[in-house]
Amino acid sequence: MIKKSLGIALFTACFLFALCVGPALSADSVKIGILGPFSGSLAFNASEMKKGMLLALEEVNDAGGLFGRQVELVYGDTECKPDKGVGAVKKLLTRDEVLVVGGGYCSSVNIAASQIADMEKCPVVVAIAISPTITNRGLEYVFRTSPNSPMFLNGINQWLEKVKQAKTVAFFMENSDYGRDGEKIWSELSKKIKAKELAHLYFEIGDTDFTTQISKLKNLNPDVTFNIASTTEAALIQKQAKELNFVTQWIGVGGQFTEAYFKMTGPISQYAMGSSLEPTLNMKSPETAAFVEAYRTAYPDSRPGIFSSQGYDNLKVILDAVQRAGEPTGDLQQDREKIKDALEKTDMKLTQGRITFEDDGQVHSVVPSVVQVQLENCEPELRIIYPEDRATADYQAPQPWRERECQ
Amino acid sequence: MDSLFLQQVVNGLIIGSVYSLIAIGLTMIFGVMRISNFAHGDYAMVGAYVAVFVMMWLPGPLGWVNALLAAAVIVAVAGVVSELLIFRPLLDRRTDIDMIMVSIGLFILLENLAQFFFEARPRMLADPFGGNTVDLGLVSTSQLRLFCLAFSCVAIAGLQVFLNRSKTGIAIRATSQNSRAARLMGIDINRIYTLTFGLGSAMAGIGGVLYGTLFAVYPTMGAIPTLKAFVVTILGGMGNIRGAIFGGFILGVAETLGGSYLAMEYKNAIGFVIIILVLLIRPQGLFGQREGV
Repeated sequence: MIKKSLGIALFTACFLFALCVGPALSADSVKIGILGPFSGSLAFNASEMKKGMLLALEEVNDAGGLFGRQVELVYGDTECKPDKGVGAVKKLLTRDEVLVVGGGYCSSVNIAASQIADMEKCPVVVAIAISPTITNRGLEYVFRTSPNSPMFLNGINQWLEKVKQAKTVAFFMENSDYGRDGEKIWSELSKKIKAKELAHLYFEIGDTDFTTQISKLKNLNPDVTFNIASTTEAALIQKQAKELNFVTQWIGVGGQFTEAYFKMTGPISQYAMGSSLEPTLNMKSPETAAFVEAYRTAYPDSRPGIFSSQGYDNLKVILDAVQRAGEPTGDLQQDREKIKDALEKTDMKLTQGRITFEDDGQVHSVVPSVVQVQLENCEPELRIIYPEDRATADYQAPQPWRERECQ
Repeated sequence: MDSLFLQQVVNGLIIGSVYSLIAIGLTMIFGVMRISNFAHGDYAMVGAYVAVFVMMWLPGPLGWVNALLAAAVIVAVAGVVSELLIFRPLLDRRTDIDMIMVSIGLFILLENLAQFFFEARPRMLADPFGGNTVDLGLVSTSQLRLFCLAFSCVAIAGLQVFLNRSKTGIAIRATSQNSRAARLMGIDINRIYTLTFGLGSAMAGIGGVLYGTLFAVYPTMGAIPTLKAFVVTILGGMGNIRGAIFGGFILGVAETLGGSYLAMEYKNAIGFVIIILVLLIRPQGLFGQREGV
């Protein structure tokens, strides 16, 4: 009997604990929904996005909020799974009655979630997911503050055409919209530069052992391997490539280059390339420099990375639109409509550059640079190698493992 | 035999050895207590986090060895506690569904607690061999991977000796074969339950440290080992330890060869295709015996 009641007490304690962890909602705050994979294998990247957003939130609430009301973020956890994302966005729209939805990571999730928001006529502003599908379906209420994948890959494509001239290429990517869209773009480019496509290999999000695929790649020995992966998977792939003694020019989209990635790989990531909007690479812009400084003050132990600045920009754009739309009347449909109209007229200079939306709701004015991981005293750092006018270093071709000094 | 084939077999054996190590605990617990513990992989996650914290205090190869020991001990204790508090009270009146739901609940709870307390950030356990690689011409791998293979084999062999030679080991096997008869022979069944849970969890904890060193440590890392351990257990026969050992290696090699020569995108599906085939053709598992024979 004692055992039984102890079990019940334990269960009750856990249940109460779970209840307390959820945020308390207040009635008259200005509510903004934020989607993201706050749990699951991408939770770390989502937490970086959230840190950036919290900076923007603090700025507005410290200055008295909007219309004298505090701004409140209501989070919807997507776990990077489309079905969970659809559930989360429905809850934000109907139960939490948010004015607008921001955040958004994982293309497959955002393709589904933005469709739901559009049907409900609630504006959604995507922060990080890059599949072109999100903004090219003609959905009126969908915006995106991040470049899409063709924009991200444009610089790398030019570099491959004009500088690298690879003869053989291989593809190794996440089996998702993020991976498949990048694959499509690079496959077209490979045909254009007449490079032979040796293999198209996939992995699932959350996989940890890639030795099967890397062994196969090593056997084919491509000049360039396009690797479309997120932080954890990309870092493990680098580590296992070393174990299997495989050398290639790795090219990724760029989203993998986070603080966690460099902590995991150390000097092993040397020579890896990607496209980047890293705020620390763009310190000549006063907005970016101010953000980097504010971030370092607020979070002294972490490095301001791309997702934190994209999260910051995303919420800044949303707050600006809510402000211009005027004080919410309480009629949700009307308020959302006004915010959508305000979003269309957005024109701000933020950490990624100037943000304006074209008719498709996509920002076209942000241009990422081509970066390579190079070593400074055996510590990895990102350097811009293309286009020439922005480059801070020359391209370094990958060397065999035994000839590398730092490992 | 070309180099790719050899390389894939080696990759398969190495990953298979870790699958075996984790699956053995699962199959032992099932054999003795008839519990399908879906939280088993999370014991591996807990072990990996124990190693992370031990190595913060004591870095380097020595720290790693201590981490391995600490993970085995702490996870064994955690296993015993969860057995006493969560599984034992349900043993008498349970149906299979009760146990499955409770263990899935424990799985979700542990994963979320880890995320709450340790952050979602993936962490690395420093490789005690400094990332040194071994290049044998046809086959390349790392010293760490070879160590994992050797260590798993030694741990599995040690467990086999314990179960076959020691009095306690024989009692565990007797309970697994027929718990009522074992009780009539004067075996303290409750003690055997606790011991089995502790031992099985310790194996998962050690497996978690190896898994975390080979790959990375993060709150959701237990999910894949759990899945693989179930495949291995069904493949080898539920409750059959020898089956779990060979099942692990068979699954590892089948995945790498299947992924390499059939279709890479279905690498993870191969295990489930094997499960379906085994259940259709030999439902007691490759090494299992038909009940009542």
